[in-house]
Amino acid sequence: MSAVARGRVVVVGAIVAALALVGVYLAAGGSSYTPEQTQNPCKHRPWRNPQGLQEIAEQFSLSALDGAACQLGVSRETLARALATTASREAFAERYGIGEAELAKAIRAGLVRAVDDAERAGALSPLIAGPLRDTVERIPLDQAIELVKDARSALGDLETFLGPAGSLLEELLP
Amino acid sequence: MPAPRPRVSALALAVGLVLADSSVVVLALPEIYRDLDTSVAGVTWVLVSFNLVMALAAVPAALLARRVGPGRAAAVGLAIFAGAGLACGLADNLTTLILARCVQALGGAAAVTAALELLPATVGSERRATAVWASAGATGAALGPAVGGILTELVSWQSIFLLQVPVALAAAVPILAVAKHEAATGIVEPELRRTGRPHLAANLALAMVSAAIAAALFLLVLLLIEGWRLSPIGAAIVVTAMPLAALLGSRLGPHVPSARARAAAGAILVSGGLGGLALLPRAEVALTLPPQLLIGVGLSLVLSALTETALGGRAPQAIHGGWTISARHAGVVIGLLALTPIFTHDIAQQREDAIEAGTAVILDSRVEPLIKIDLAQKIAERLEGEKGKVPTLGPAFEPLPSDPHARAQVEQLRGELQDQLDRGATHAFSPSFELAALLGLLALIPIGLSRRRGVEL
Repeated sequence: MSAVARGRVVVVGAIVAALALVGVYLAAGGSSYTPEQTQNPCKHRPWRNPQGLQEIAEQFSLSALDGAACQLGVSRETLARALATTASREAFAERYGIGEAELAKAIRAGLVRAVDDAERAGALSPLIAGPLRDTVERIPLDQAIELVKDARSALGDLETFLGPAGSLLEELLP
Repeated sequence: MPAPRPRVSALALAVGLVLADSSVVVLALPEIYRDLDTSVAGVTWVLVSFNLVMALAAVPAALLARRVGPGRAAAVGLAIFAGAGLACGLADNLTTLILARCVQALGGAAAVTAALELLPATVGSERRATAVWASAGATGAALGPAVGGILTELVSWQSIFLLQVPVALAAAVPILAVAKHEAATGIVEPELRRTGRPHLAANLALAMVSAAIAAALFLLVLLLIEGWRLSPIGAAIVVTAMPLAALLGSRLGPHVPSARARAAAGAILVSGGLGGLALLPRAEVALTLPPQLLIGVGLSLVLSALTETALGGRAPQAIHGGWTISARHAGVVIGLLALTPIFTHDIAQQREDAIEAGTAVILDSRVEPLIKIDLAQKIAERLEGEKGKVPTLGPAFEPLPSDPHARAQVEQLRGELQDQLDRGATHAFSPSFELAALLGLLALIPIGLSRRRGVEL
């Protein structure tokens, strides 16, 4: 084989090897190996199988996070991490320039959306939803955050949460 | 005068040692960063300073070597390199380390360019001398990160520099005889021919390809250590694939007489390998091996071919060699300075995206809400403790629940969460690898324009 032909073979071989590698990695999903995108919190998410107190409480918390995050213009995930500790809440407030009052307003709005969603999903009867909505619209920030983080305790102990009427309403939970 | 064989080995060792130094600290940078309590931008200069001074000093060092004699220049250069290496190893702050690295580069530049002046007489032909010089440099540059990583893990980052001292002195011993001969006779034996200006196209291509190769080494090491959390020794073992492949390439090279074809094939392979690294389909070490194979073979072909083209038919060899050293190290500096801000920004962004996706995984998981809350708090604490890095989340899941069902759910959640972090870390490097691949492809333009003087390609 002449020197020129050998040179051509080497160059063509290099092109084939390079394209083969890139092609195989593309076919194996190389271009889509990225973190999954989070959903828009303003879009309604259907509740999955709202059966039992734990499941309802979990869906309630997620709806509340979505609602509050939508109000604040952040993702549900960012807000969830922000509410994990006092330090993370302060860091979040500083980063996004959100004051306590604004945060409280957003979380209350999120809780109202959670009650609406629960009612729509058939997880809460209108008899419970009404007073619960009135209550969450007025609760202090710390209590609202606790409700988002642990809705099970509040929903499982409606008497304490809503007052004496709660014990009657508790019977109406699915 | 010593027999040629030990002198050839000594000269090849000197060239390999000095050129390995341009990349040897890559795997040690995280350790230096922690040990000297400095910034990421600051620690990058441990690498950049050496390459920058090499780029600036190579041609003046070659002129000096011709004036005082290549034997003396090489011996003194290696002594300076060793002394500065000792200072690097003993440095207790970043400023001292960077200054010592600059002095190391000055000595290294003198040794490498003088070696090229000494080699033709030692090996018997200019072409063979160029081949030995170029392949020693390519092997050193490719081996550097692996050796540095192993030493960092087994001993310390300081040991990288301290070990260079006896190696440099050992390489200087056979050259001393030449230096003594020059001093005794006053014969400098300069190459009187002055043929040709520096080969612009070949040197430009060298700079572009070197930028791409530096990026390949630097970014791959960072991906393995900072992204996938491998230990320095683990990363060193993985990146050994590249010099092994370079050895394969050096065996292939002599079968292809056309330097331009070798250079073009090498640049294409380097770009293809970088393209593969930009498109890794999973965070698996084994998947980095095929791209490394291509890059290793490619760098061996392209660096030696372009060096031969830049030096072919030109004299004095030391000065034209100085231009190639200058071009290569300028390329490394440009590659590091251009790509570092890009991937630093991307890794910060991808870290955010991965954490968002990971949080979504936790929120949507079937794990009990109270475990979720506990996990969220622990993960938030870990994120706080590892600012700017891709966090290790494993400890946040300890202790695992005792209930088998809950334990299985938590383990599944940990796997899904780790997957999101791996995706983020891997994807963060993609744009930089793509850009480096593009640099390698752009080098085809000057390669197409390069013709070796007096040689039919």
